[in-house]
Amino acid sequence: MWLWFSKLGSPRWFYELSSKWLPWLYAAMIVLMAIGLFWALLIVPEDYQQGQTIRIMYVHVPVASISLACFPLMAVAGTITLVWKMKLADMVAKSVAPIGAWFTGLALASGAIWGDQIWGTWWAWDARLTSLLIQFFLFIGVIALRSAIESQDAAAKACAVLAIVGAINVPIIKYSVEWWNTLHQPASSFSIDPVAPNPPEVWVPLLIMISAVYVFFVIALILRTRNEILQRERRSQWVIDLVSKEKSV
Amino acid sequence: MNKPVSSHAGTEISTWQAFCATLKRDLVIALKRKNDLLNPIMFFLIVVSLFPLGISPDPVELSKVSAGVVWVSALLASMLSLDNLYRADYEDGSLEQLLLSPQPLYFLVLAKNIAHWLISGLPVVVLSPLLAYMLYLPSEAYWTLVLTLLIGTPVLSLFGSIGVALTVGLGSRGLILAVIVLPLSTPVLIIGAKAVTDVMFGLPIGNHFALLGAILALALTMAPLASSAALRISVN
Repeated sequence: MWLWFSKLGSPRWFYELSSKWLPWLYAAMIVLMAIGLFWALLIVPEDYQQGQTIRIMYVHVPVASISLACFPLMAVAGTITLVWKMKLADMVAKSVAPIGAWFTGLALASGAIWGDQIWGTWWAWDARLTSLLIQFFLFIGVIALRSAIESQDAAAKACAVLAIVGAINVPIIKYSVEWWNTLHQPASSFSIDPVAPNPPEVWVPLLIMISAVYVFFVIALILRTRNEILQRERRSQWVIDLVSKEKSV
Repeated sequence: MNKPVSSHAGTEISTWQAFCATLKRDLVIALKRKNDLLNPIMFFLIVVSLFPLGISPDPVELSKVSAGVVWVSALLASMLSLDNLYRADYEDGSLEQLLLSPQPLYFLVLAKNIAHWLISGLPVVVLSPLLAYMLYLPSEAYWTLVLTLLIGTPVLSLFGSIGVALTVGLGSRGLILAVIVLPLSTPVLIIGAKAVTDVMFGLPIGNHFALLGAILALALTMAPLASSAALRISVN
């Protein structure tokens, strides 16, 4: 098992394996995204309260759920960097920070558009909006710290520490803000009961959209990590071979 | 079997002695630099007095925002004085000596953080009733303000220490410290300011103090560990 673990840490191994994964991931994303978007935008019935604007949910919820997953992911990658000094983990941590910032920004933007329709305002100092905004600042802090430290090794460790501290803080921020002010609706649950507030015809496409956006996130993360691998390993023989092969083709 | 022999037998220093020595050293240095001692307090005074100029001199409006104004100013004052925490020690090499010492770094960092709080946090706490009076905070909320600041400002020093430790080796830090530290400080600000506002409305505030105390306990136990790790990375 440990052999497998140390193998996973090898950037080259990851690069080669992810080359095999990518076509499948692309296919899965295209299929899921096509079904999900078609279903969500054209088939799902209008909400009796929110009308057509309910369709914003099919973008907002997946994006927001990923933005919440990014910080813990970065902290886990940071812990692996600190404990096992695995190079690949830091490459993932570095790649996930800008993606996380983007997804948080997108969640805020799509939420603002939705909020404009439902609450009649783009922005409110509501608990979830505020905690997401602070999470956005935390991402910016990690990115800024990474770019400020020149030594790659020191940057990796410093960002790992900050990511772990931030990840401990995210729930504290979330709860303190929540209890400070709440306007946002509680997260709705999934239910197969057809008369429940959220019948399957509403949440099944949502589930498909969530999976589609998750696959998109994984693809974006893999592509960024692959770039990072090529950049950091540019002097090693396998990258030189790879590039010369690409050129000759 | 050989017993582990201490390299400096006879001059063994206990952790507690090292803790006290570090605390004393930082306080002595601070007391010798009168300007560094005064600057955070003056900054706090100036920022607080800017708010009435920016908002309105009206007592009704000011008393509504006074708790938040004092809290935000305390947060900024604490952050701006953080730079002294490790900077000079880093430059003259005494930080390296601190890292090399046989005592656990956790306690040495904690001593430095406590010194920082005594220098920059405590004066703010002491001055806060005066400023609260100037901002027309209702008198029944004075004690709450002082107590929340008393529990909250150590947390600001402890969290801030992590940010300084991460950035101490950088040439140009300026704003990056603020970008790292300010988002981490939001829970304390929210709870502290909310407690004072709630007292003004006659609401119970026991839970606020419980939460602030919990955050302080967490910060006391965890933050020096993170600061130590960050210092080891930065000095390297």
